[in-house]
Amino acid sequence: MLLLTGINFSKLVTMETINSAIRIIVLLGLGFPLLLFLCTLAGKAAKKRFTPQAGMLIRKGIFYFGSILLLISVLYQMGFKLTALLGAAGIAGIAIGFASQTSVSNIISGLFLISEKPFAVGDLIKVDDTKGTILSIDLLSVKLRTLDNQLVRIPNESLIKNQVTNITRFPIRRFDINVGIAYKEDVSKVRNVLLDIAKNNPYCLDEPEPLVLFLNFGDSALEFLFAVWFVKTDFFKLRNSIMQEIKERFDAEGIEIPFPHRTLYTGSVTEPFPVKIVPSDAKKQKQRS
Amino acid sequence: MMDIWNRSKIGSGDILRSQIGPLLLWFRKIEDELHIAFERLPEPDTIVDATGPAAVNGVEPEGLDWGRWIVGDETNTFQVLPIMPDRPVVVHPELPVKIPTGHQALFFVSIPVWLRAIAGEKKPIELCEVPVLILSNTWFGDPMSGQLCYSLRSRARRQIKDSEPNPSRAVCPVKIRNTSPRQLNIERLCVHVEHLKTYSGDKNLWTNGVTITFRGEDQVSKIDYSRERPAFEPISEMLSEARVPIKESVLKRSIGSFKFFSGM
Repeated sequence: MLLLTGINFSKLVTMETINSAIRIIVLLGLGFPLLLFLCTLAGKAAKKRFTPQAGMLIRKGIFYFGSILLLISVLYQMGFKLTALLGAAGIAGIAIGFASQTSVSNIISGLFLISEKPFAVGDLIKVDDTKGTILSIDLLSVKLRTLDNQLVRIPNESLIKNQVTNITRFPIRRFDINVGIAYKEDVSKVRNVLLDIAKNNPYCLDEPEPLVLFLNFGDSALEFLFAVWFVKTDFFKLRNSIMQEIKERFDAEGIEIPFPHRTLYTGSVTEPFPVKIVPSDAKKQKQRS
Repeated sequence: MMDIWNRSKIGSGDILRSQIGPLLLWFRKIEDELHIAFERLPEPDTIVDATGPAAVNGVEPEGLDWGRWIVGDETNTFQVLPIMPDRPVVVHPELPVKIPTGHQALFFVSIPVWLRAIAGEKKPIELCEVPVLILSNTWFGDPMSGQLCYSLRSRARRQIKDSEPNPSRAVCPVKIRNTSPRQLNIERLCVHVEHLKTYSGDKNLWTNGVTITFRGEDQVSKIDYSRERPAFEPISEMLSEARVPIKESVLKRSIGSFKFFSGM
């Protein structure tokens, strides 16, 4: 109250200040709804013509640009000198720029990601050890929902720097299975059995044709690559069913899947390994009696 | 044979059974619910029997996987109709066919139908659809932008009199014209069955005809779907509309004469 007594309100509230206040109210009252309307309109149009990410980007760009224009207009109406303000803003800009290098880098990376389109919302991607479905592609980061339902935020900068695998970009994929069989087995029979498994599995595509490649004479097994094509949505069904079918069918056909084993060889000129025969417990008891 | 597609009555407590080729269909009405179950017979390729819905005098088999639909007390009729599969069918002729330039050929492709169960008469309720024969999946086109289809081995007969009538298959007349400057080698043929209607003929189920004009390996084919009923035997009625009706001819890749490699 004491402070207010010293102020001359008749000098403070002039016609000019009232006019400025009215102009500010009109600017904000009309400017903001108009800006929001423009953002929505441009966002929708861009979403239709381009991608949802481009729509979001254009919407936010218009919003931030319009907001800055509104703020400058309001400050001008309040009597601030714009030249001084812009000078101060330049100095502040340098300071903020230094402080927000990472954010700016993420924003620029985000722009590259949006223009390059290596993935879209809904794709399943793998970044380092993280695998998940893309929930959103924002200016600073990409948000993933992992297969065990966790949210992972990956900064755009790391997506630009690191290798990203888009698992579901194409409608069909190939599932590779390494199969090892014992040396004694008939290779042609194994090949035919594997192709028959693929033929009867409902999730394997007939074309592109399944592939059986004889890869190697391994340490413990003859090594094959069994590759089948499937529709990307059938991955878990195919993986579960075909692995089980291979095991069951190999068992039924008497095809051995060997464990790793080692043969110890002392050389032709060396003495054989000494072998000591130990009688079983039952034999020991008989001998005692 | 075609009375299997007629509407049947079912009262509360009734159990009816019908057979379309290798598929047995069971219907049961309990108060305002209609229950449907399916049973697949072994050796499906050899079974051509068909019987309309008939009461079962005995105990229903155990282990049927019943589906329940609330159809109301007043709904006491149902109907089973053949409809074309929900995806295109890639037909592999048993022997590759070659058509010289400027020639055309008519093939009769026998396509396993799906069955659509409908309850009621005035306001029909679509209950479910089931394939008579489960076809394996295949991909037509390149691995980046092709199309998921069903795969079907076919003799691609030239004469309809050679084939035995089969209630679980619809005969699709496919005419192929080769207007390209080279001989056409057909290893696979993609028939977009979702654009086909089904008709009941004297002996066979039919679809409207398809004419594929092949214009070259690097060009899409022109496909025309006939609006007329097939004229190879007397047709009594149209049984079902196309899933995706089409009015004009379309341009699509529909003939495959080369194989896609597995990318190794």
